[in-house]
Amino acid sequence: MPRNKILVVDDDPDLVRALRLRLRANDYDIATACDGYSAIASAQKERPDLIVLDLGLPAGDGFVVLDRLQNSDVLSGIPVIVLSARDPQNNEQRALKAGAAAYFQKPADNEELLSVIRVSLPQPKAEAARPS
Amino acid sequence: MSDSRTHVLLIEDNPGDADLVRLRLVESRPAVRVDYASRLSDGLAAIAKEMPSLVLLDLNLPDSHGAETFRKIMEKAPGVPVVVLSGQDDEALAMKAVNQGVQDYLVKGDLSSKHLERAMRYAVERQSLLRSLDMARKQQIEFKNQFLSHVSHELRTPLTCIHQYVTLLLDGLAGPVQPEQADHLKTVLKSVNQLHAMIRDLLEATRAESGKLRIEPRCIAVGTLIQQAVAMMRPTAQEKRIGIEIGLDRRIPLIFADPDRVLEILINLIDNAIKFTPVDGAITVKACMVESDPEMVYLSITDTGRGINPETKAMIFERLYQDPEAIDSSRSGLGLGLFICRELVKLHQGRIWVSSDPGQGSTFTFTLPTYSLAKLLFPVVTHQASLRPAFSLVQVELTPLSNPPRGNWRETWQECLETLRRCVYLDKDLVLPPMGMAGPAETFFVVASTDMERVGVMAMRIREQLERVASLKSAGKLSVMTVPIIPTAAAPGETLEQQVQHLADRINEIVIRALGKENLPVANSAHAASGSSTKPVLKH
Repeated sequence: MPRNKILVVDDDPDLVRALRLRLRANDYDIATACDGYSAIASAQKERPDLIVLDLGLPAGDGFVVLDRLQNSDVLSGIPVIVLSARDPQNNEQRALKAGAAAYFQKPADNEELLSVIRVSLPQPKAEAARPS
Repeated sequence: MSDSRTHVLLIEDNPGDADLVRLRLVESRPAVRVDYASRLSDGLAAIAKEMPSLVLLDLNLPDSHGAETFRKIMEKAPGVPVVVLSGQDDEALAMKAVNQGVQDYLVKGDLSSKHLERAMRYAVERQSLLRSLDMARKQQIEFKNQFLSHVSHELRTPLTCIHQYVTLLLDGLAGPVQPEQADHLKTVLKSVNQLHAMIRDLLEATRAESGKLRIEPRCIAVGTLIQQAVAMMRPTAQEKRIGIEIGLDRRIPLIFADPDRVLEILINLIDNAIKFTPVDGAITVKACMVESDPEMVYLSITDTGRGINPETKAMIFERLYQDPEAIDSSRSGLGLGLFICRELVKLHQGRIWVSSDPGQGSTFTFTLPTYSLAKLLFPVVTHQASLRPAFSLVQVELTPLSNPPRGNWRETWQECLETLRRCVYLDKDLVLPPMGMAGPAETFFVVASTDMERVGVMAMRIREQLERVASLKSAGKLSVMTVPIIPTAAAPGETLEQQVQHLADRINEIVIRALGKENLPVANSAHAASGSSTKPVLKH
């Protein structure tokens, strides 16, 4: 079975490197982007199964990215998990409204993040009948 | 028609005095416009019609005397300068008025035009100074809050990096780790978590201070929350070999509170207890009812720590209070935890206090309101001192269409609840508050004071209205049902209160049966497992 691909978008290269290691260890393929513009470009090129998205980004912040994704016929189905240092009180509802599947404030618990990634990924057909 | 002249409202019951003041005012430059009232009620009516620029006020009027007079005026005309007109013999009262926010007072006997004019001008000036001071203070608080919010954001970024790399190393993802190295890394991780908690508290306290803390009360079982909180804190307690016991009074009613916030309070208090309890100590978390206060549930956390001095007790809930003798200085925080607890309890209309004797341990107790269906029902199911003739229940179920659910479920069901409230008659129907832990699937109930025949119309109206909620269409499946409520016949001599209580019992039975076991506001072990502070909100 092909591995799921996750696009990690964050402007902190150190954090991207750490997330890449963490997600690879959990059997995901990784693509990365460091700003809003390249996030969209990368999403179009790589067609990831899921996107982990920071909000504070140069060249189009996370909300711009969410908006572009939602308005694209081919990309709107990709689940997006927001991982941001910003206060959820002001940003969580807005992000969820804009189409995000979940909101994590940094620093996030690895296990929780991984489990939300698991449930948010499009379910493979063989597993679709699994009781919820 | 607009009039640029200063608008003075003169409230004075003695016609002679009033004429005198008016005469002086006519001479004043620049010209003023005078409205006149001889009673407080007329004065208040004039204020309601048009806010004056200044009020000249006699304190003793036919319908109001003394301090009461200026208090009422300042309440109705906040921010409008008031100058009191006093007689020779009541200067003391006038002075008191000045102390309480009146701008100035004039003694009626020696009133010259110049005098009056200057007093009025100064009063207006001083009031506008006060206003700008107040505005500056508010701006300062706002600036401080923005600064703290910014700082906490900036601190989180490097903290996240440290957290990620430490956990990478600890989990062996960068190669094998020696036991001693792992030990050191765990220490780093502990400090990272501590720093994280401090940043969180800083933001929470800022919110509390600026009145931005919000609660979303639901009908929940307090036992569930206590079990969850204890399960989360057990690992920390075990590090010091401290046992945590739970004592639940068997007859605890459901409470009406925000489950997340109650958990926050419990965790904070248990964490505190662990901090101040020596190795091998014990902590007990209890919930009980107190006979003299039947509308509240009492929750308490008792430790076998060294207790609290009487002088300290008074300050312990204040912002930034630090215990100078904390035994475990490595775990001391910012001194915000108890302050946040107090603010959260207050938002629930509860109280929090500590009882302790030095050397004997401490008990922190807080109260939360019980959920009483009978109390909620009483005003809607009774009419002219008797029970209404018929009742029915409308049950609305909201189920997400997909797994994981699409759309923002919290918002969806809140919108659903608001729509329901718009569909009922407030004086004879009741939308019950949400129950149990919040989740993507919710069941709502409406108690309607009507028979099954007529409730069908209501159910139809509800369905129609809900179908207009746009977010609901894409997010969930909706089912609206009607359920009969057959009240037991009133026993002879039964009071109205008892009849309402019986009806409430019947409704509770139906609701509990309809909710099914997994959605009941009782223990749910699935929640107890997640022990971390970053709670994701899945877009269920």
